[in-house]
Amino acid sequence: MAMRDLITGATSCPDPSASSSSQNPLGSLANALLGSSSKNQERLKEIPTSTSTPSASQFYSQPHTQLPGSEFDKPFLDANSQGSEFLNRFRSAGAGGFDETWDEIQGDGNQLRLYDGRGQLPPQLHQPTLDGTPQRVLSTFLHSFLDSSRGGIPFHPAPLPVLGLSEGDKQCIRDRSSIMARHLFADKSEEFIHAQVNALLSSLDIDSNVRGKGPMPERHRELEDYWNESQGNLIQGAHASDGWITEFSQNRERYDNPDAWANSFEQQHGANGWASEFEHSQLSSVDQMRGMNMSNIAAMEQTRMLANTLAQNADPKFQNSKFLQFVSKMSRGELIIDDNQVKESALPAPGDWATEYQQQYNHGDAWAGEFLNNKAYPRAGPELWANEFATERQQNGAADDQWVDEFSKLHVNDWAEEFGQQIGEGAFGEGSSDNWAQAYDEFLNEQVAAKQRSDSSRGVYVFSDLNPYVGHPNPLKEGQDLFRKGLLSEAVLALEAEVLKNPENSEGWRLLGIAHAENDDDQQAIAAMMRAQEADPTNLEVLLALGVSHTNELEQNAALKYLFGWLRNHPKYGTIAPPEMSDSLYYADVARLFNEAAVISPDDADVHIVLGVLYNLSREYDKAIAAFEQALKLKPQDYSLWNKLGATQANSVQSADAIAAYQQALDLKPNYVRAWANMGISYANQGMYDESIRYYVRALAMNPKAENAWQYLRISLSCASRNDMLEACDSRNLDLLQKEFPLQ
Amino acid sequence: MPVFKTPFNGYSVKFSPFYENRIAVATAQNFGILGNGRLHVLELSSNPALPITEIAAYDTADGIYDVTWSESHDSITVAAVADGSVKLYDLALPPTSNPIRSFHEHTREVHSVDYNPVRRDSFLSAAWDDTVKLWTVDRPTSVRTFKEHAYCVYSSVWNPRHADVFASASGDCTVRIWDVREPGSTMILPAHEHEILSCDWNKYDECIIATGSVDKSVKVWDVRSYRVPVAVLNGHGYAVRKVKFSPHVRNLLVSCSYDMTVCVWDFMVEDALVSRYDHHTEFAVGVDMSVLVEGLLASTGWDELVYVWQHGTDPRAS
Repeated sequence: MAMRDLITGATSCPDPSASSSSQNPLGSLANALLGSSSKNQERLKEIPTSTSTPSASQFYSQPHTQLPGSEFDKPFLDANSQGSEFLNRFRSAGAGGFDETWDEIQGDGNQLRLYDGRGQLPPQLHQPTLDGTPQRVLSTFLHSFLDSSRGGIPFHPAPLPVLGLSEGDKQCIRDRSSIMARHLFADKSEEFIHAQVNALLSSLDIDSNVRGKGPMPERHRELEDYWNESQGNLIQGAHASDGWITEFSQNRERYDNPDAWANSFEQQHGANGWASEFEHSQLSSVDQMRGMNMSNIAAMEQTRMLANTLAQNADPKFQNSKFLQFVSKMSRGELIIDDNQVKESALPAPGDWATEYQQQYNHGDAWAGEFLNNKAYPRAGPELWANEFATERQQNGAADDQWVDEFSKLHVNDWAEEFGQQIGEGAFGEGSSDNWAQAYDEFLNEQVAAKQRSDSSRGVYVFSDLNPYVGHPNPLKEGQDLFRKGLLSEAVLALEAEVLKNPENSEGWRLLGIAHAENDDDQQAIAAMMRAQEADPTNLEVLLALGVSHTNELEQNAALKYLFGWLRNHPKYGTIAPPEMSDSLYYADVARLFNEAAVISPDDADVHIVLGVLYNLSREYDKAIAAFEQALKLKPQDYSLWNKLGATQANSVQSADAIAAYQQALDLKPNYVRAWANMGISYANQGMYDESIRYYVRALAMNPKAENAWQYLRISLSCASRNDMLEACDSRNLDLLQKEFPLQ
Repeated sequence: MPVFKTPFNGYSVKFSPFYENRIAVATAQNFGILGNGRLHVLELSSNPALPITEIAAYDTADGIYDVTWSESHDSITVAAVADGSVKLYDLALPPTSNPIRSFHEHTREVHSVDYNPVRRDSFLSAAWDDTVKLWTVDRPTSVRTFKEHAYCVYSSVWNPRHADVFASASGDCTVRIWDVREPGSTMILPAHEHEILSCDWNKYDECIIATGSVDKSVKVWDVRSYRVPVAVLNGHGYAVRKVKFSPHVRNLLVSCSYDMTVCVWDFMVEDALVSRYDHHTEFAVGVDMSVLVEGLLASTGWDELVYVWQHGTDPRAS
């Protein structure tokens, strides 16, 4: 994930505060502390060179001054009034507290001096700036702030910009602390761990939104079982002590391509193997979904549990652990860092986590929204699960967990309270986290059962009943016309009639896929696109569409396969794509080829589009945006391109820009359901729920079958405290909704 | 035995395969959650009473989670950096020339690096982007990417006998065995019910592998019969962060844990726990056994201390 990019700001997350703050000493102090500006520099020099000579000379260019933190020199040594004031203040406020803690922990002050004996260091290392000071400042700052806020010592806001966490930093904290928390709270349930992390994050005012790596280590359990079963068959023969590797190698031939997983599943499940993979992945998405719901709701209460957990460990070492103190104090909400402002915390407002939830639920759908639905590669993570979960719920309504429904019905503001009460009553107390896990297992089992029932029907294109276009003399032409007019649902019918008549018509399937995608019906879209590719494996547009859809799933290998296929089959660029490369595709290689293609013909919008897609794959959103913008210069009338741009901007947390891009798409194609829905998502991401509702309603008015949009609408209604309209939403009363939420 | 204080939280420690008195230590600021990193190269004095001295230190813009020594050049180390980069440092060159290489392909934190001890020309990096990458020093890009794990890969280690075989331990609760000559993994060990943070090959039996997991246990496996572990070593109170087989004694391995202890085990005897070292005051996350000096151990942890001691002695006794 592009966390590093976010931090460096060099590629994907321009952080205006980073550049502007470097204008003032405090800012550069902050940069020094967090190493942000030096990260920029480092990033530049980190671009791999294309040389293969082992000579180190080319690496000599790095000036010593670029060492991280060396810019700290100035403000610190110049005793700049502001900077030193900060330091003094900070020292008086909290350093003592930290020292005490430290001494307690060490029990031996001498050990500190081991490091302070700087005279032993080689001269070139004599950098007062780096000699632990930034680390001490930051670390002590964190600890002492906690102490001071607890001891009632007023904490001056002035130092705060120093700590101001950039988005990237927050991301770091979020991702890393969640992964570490999982290691730490091993005996606790998933929900508990999620809750711990969320408690910490909400204290830090870091929203646990989408780009992070969802902790879900067990999400592939089912898949592994299948794999192991098949492997188990291979393994059963006894192996000589040395021969196992060879034997595995031989046996491996049956699984000798990158799609080994898929093959394995196909063996298990027949032709619908991929569909079953889809199902399982969806399960895990549901898994994560639930975990996150739970964690958000429980965050506040769970903070207390964290304290309890820590307190329960009688080991004095644990009581003294700086790390655990850090986590526990943070989790108790004693520290809030909010856009460069550290605040003494009030209780987290209920709205905060409701917003987080909202963002989790909605946010990343942008890309998902752009194209076909997601067979949900498991790493698709939060970006896609909302989408899938929505679909999921629809299809397995019976198996759906009551809790989810209940949750939806609650008034947002009452939510926390109610949950708190439940906790108070012991319903979800720590002791019952097992119950949660158990109930959840049951839920999963039901889901699995439901899946198995529907396995056979998935991934297969489902035709509409009573199609008036069957028997039409030229349904393809009719479908194209309807599509052009923006009558997507009608176009779908006509195109279905076409592919029923000519199942081998790749163009018919492709158009059908696009119509479904634009109509926000992902499942049908992907099924159609797969058929299109079957019918014509070299169709460039189909390859591109499938590349995009796999990008949506972050399924890099498959995406690269299709995008490379696009290049291979392109009359102009086929030559630069060596066929032998298709055996082992690496992101860097494919990206390089497309960059070459862009050099060959800079005016080919398609190349820029693919580049944009590729950069989405590597989450270099800034580059992706640049590529799409370039393509738009060449193809300003391509509404789907505007939508891609918008989705990319939304993914890089530029929801406001995204709205402008979607608006362009809609100006070009007013019936573009997907763009309407995406627009709603972007508004929701900005907390503008009223607006988002209007856009969802508009999208639904055009295509009431867009299940995702119904789901989003429901959430936005809840968040906007329009629970009075929930019933209209549930009963799909579009008339009422349109009357209530007209789009100006 | 001597102690060294690092300014940042320790993450990993490795003995040089060339010099018995040299170790590399990977550290990260703020527990590796946020901030800079520093790679230390330290020299132990031949007189245990004298302090550990620092030969070199290299700073990075993000935490360093792991380090490995080159098996071909005595002065080269490879660092796993949390910003997703893998950096090479050459002690023989001035600090301004370092790092001599910086490979930035991983999209998430790189959590482990391991130099191939047989071929000596390549190394592996395992990262939280679910992939393992194979590198050589002289190529600007990775040679291969191994992407089958479904969650963070915490560790990848070469088999000490087979030049092309390695194992990877992942948060998806599996260990995978790979042969780089093959397109995909040759084997999946569903070794634990929880995340697996570390694995290591036995140095005397190339089919034996140890795994350390969040489930607090260390398990020893024979890859020829993966369904049942050879041994399950219980005793850590929190997640096991790293396991390492002894280079000198077939059945001996060392582990360190979030329970702040370092344990030495004999996996073939019933009462497997040989020693428990309780010297760290924060999570013990890095441990290594010297190849050149039998019984010499090194550990580091989030208490910012690096300990080097002889097995059987008190690490804190100086």
